[in-house]
Amino acid sequence: MIPARLQWPVGFGVVLVAALLPFVCSSYTTSQILTRSLILGLAAASLIFLASLGGWVSLAQLGLYGVAGFTVGNLAKADGGAKVFAMDIWVASLLALVVTVLVGLLIGVIASRSEGIYFLMITLAFGVIIRLLFEKATDLSGFGGINQIIQPSLLGSAQLDPERIYWLCLAICVLVYLGVRYFARTPFGLAFQGIRDNTPRMRALGYNVTLMRTVAFGIGAFIAALAGVLNVWWNTQISPGTIDIGPVIFLLMIAIIGGLYRIEGAWVGALIYVVLDNRLRSIDVVGERVATALGIIFLLIVLLSPGGVMGIYESLSSRWRRTGVTGGATSDGDGTATPTVAGD
Amino acid sequence: MSQTETSAAESVVPILRLRGVGRRFGGVHAVRGVDLDVRAGERRAVLGPNGAGKTTLFNVIAGEFPPTEGSVELFGVDVTNKPARARVPLGVTRTFQISRLFGGLSVADNLYVSIIGAEGGHLRPIRNAKDRAYHAQARELGDRVGLGGVLDELVGALSHGEQRQLEIGMALAGDPKLIMLDEPAAGLARAERVKLTEMLLGFDRSITMILIEHDMDVALTVAEHVTMMHDGRIVVEGTPSEIRGNQLVHDLYLGKGHRNHE
Repeated sequence: MIPARLQWPVGFGVVLVAALLPFVCSSYTTSQILTRSLILGLAAASLIFLASLGGWVSLAQLGLYGVAGFTVGNLAKADGGAKVFAMDIWVASLLALVVTVLVGLLIGVIASRSEGIYFLMITLAFGVIIRLLFEKATDLSGFGGINQIIQPSLLGSAQLDPERIYWLCLAICVLVYLGVRYFARTPFGLAFQGIRDNTPRMRALGYNVTLMRTVAFGIGAFIAALAGVLNVWWNTQISPGTIDIGPVIFLLMIAIIGGLYRIEGAWVGALIYVVLDNRLRSIDVVGERVATALGIIFLLIVLLSPGGVMGIYESLSSRWRRTGVTGGATSDGDGTATPTVAGD
Repeated sequence: MSQTETSAAESVVPILRLRGVGRRFGGVHAVRGVDLDVRAGERRAVLGPNGAGKTTLFNVIAGEFPPTEGSVELFGVDVTNKPARARVPLGVTRTFQISRLFGGLSVADNLYVSIIGAEGGHLRPIRNAKDRAYHAQARELGDRVGLGGVLDELVGALSHGEQRQLEIGMALAGDPKLIMLDEPAAGLARAERVKLTEMLLGFDRSITMILIEHDMDVALTVAEHVTMMHDGRIVVEGTPSEIRGNQLVHDLYLGKGHRNHE
């Protein structure tokens, strides 16, 4: 763990380095590795938000991401989809956020009564329903997806200015990260963690557990919606394949590789996944067997550490602090409690 | 607990009134025909062997589930079919026989969540000035139940005794009027039980206490009124000294003392 007093400087440093990367990376890397990692990381963050604070593993997050993407595609000017609205991309995107949160609340009302494996299955069912809806309703999804969604003009051209959307994604990811960290210390955030740890006690303390869970699920949907909107801005297209069961599993893998108990893990997992997905293909032995190779790497990470990469990092750094710093100077500086969520 | 104080308290309307309360679980009649009045400021112990229906009675009073027969009145309000969260604002809190804590949060945050539970603002996603006061209140409450040294520890890392203390601390959050303690001494060492007894005796007289306890020393020291349950019914009521001398109590409970005292 980074000592509390160093958290802000280290975090600032990481963001600064990330912001400067487009100057040293090729356009291809900026777009296909870095931007893609940020967007997938944001989607994974919506999953880890619910998992770390609420103890809920949701498989509906990519479906919600798709709802946002398809809503933008249908409302804005694009090739395929409803076409009748042709709204300004900003209005379309804002409406997409609203629609997705409403869908999220609706799913939340139903899913918030369940826990554990049942919650997993219910959210999986909703994920599949959303995909089937867009697959069958070709009026909404076009044949072979919605293409050429017009980007906001401030982003310039996706080919010529890949760094613009990258910076926008980076900014939004930082805001979401800070927002989630802040939320965890608010009354609602602490109560949500209370529900994770002991639901009957929360009821006895006077909390409306179902309502709180539903609203929290809506917040998770909002994060997923941000990722979904950024995805169509970046990719300028979306198809039902984007939210198929395969990508749903990959998103879960990203979250688990990163570590389900720390929100930072979302982007760590996404970067690892995207780099592997990108590089493994060019290795002869792997070729088209990318999923198999990813699966093996996933197994190795999970066997090494149930807390994912963030878990490995935590156990290594605490071992380092025990052996490296002796003589009682091991407290977190000002004695504040570490923000780690002990979910295991 | 002078005689005058007790009789003054008894002249007012009971804050808890049970009439004909029963609860079935399928074919099991866990509680039946319970009439009980508890007055403001009273210290009442509910005793009885395992399976007598004590905890079921607690759950009915706290609103964990409704009774299948009879009525529950709290502070003159009929709450028979109201859920637990509707009873908390009235000032009803409880502890659990097996600690139900938030293992992933610190001691101070456990108490903070308990205070918010009573004070409201459950869905507030921003911190404001009130929170600083609540956090301070939580730390002060932690001090009061003897957890001042571990306020920032994660609850999952506490000892059993400390977790039991926190159980009581959480029930004391937010100015309760009626506090229900379900076997607070369970699993405590002798020295810890003495400390617990002192803590319970030190409760403010404005707090009414109902206590389920297997440890006779703790129960009969703290309580002024004792209700003895057996097979879901109330079989004896009286003062601690009457209970000590009661033959039925001896037969039901103290006779099997070795098993029940563990």
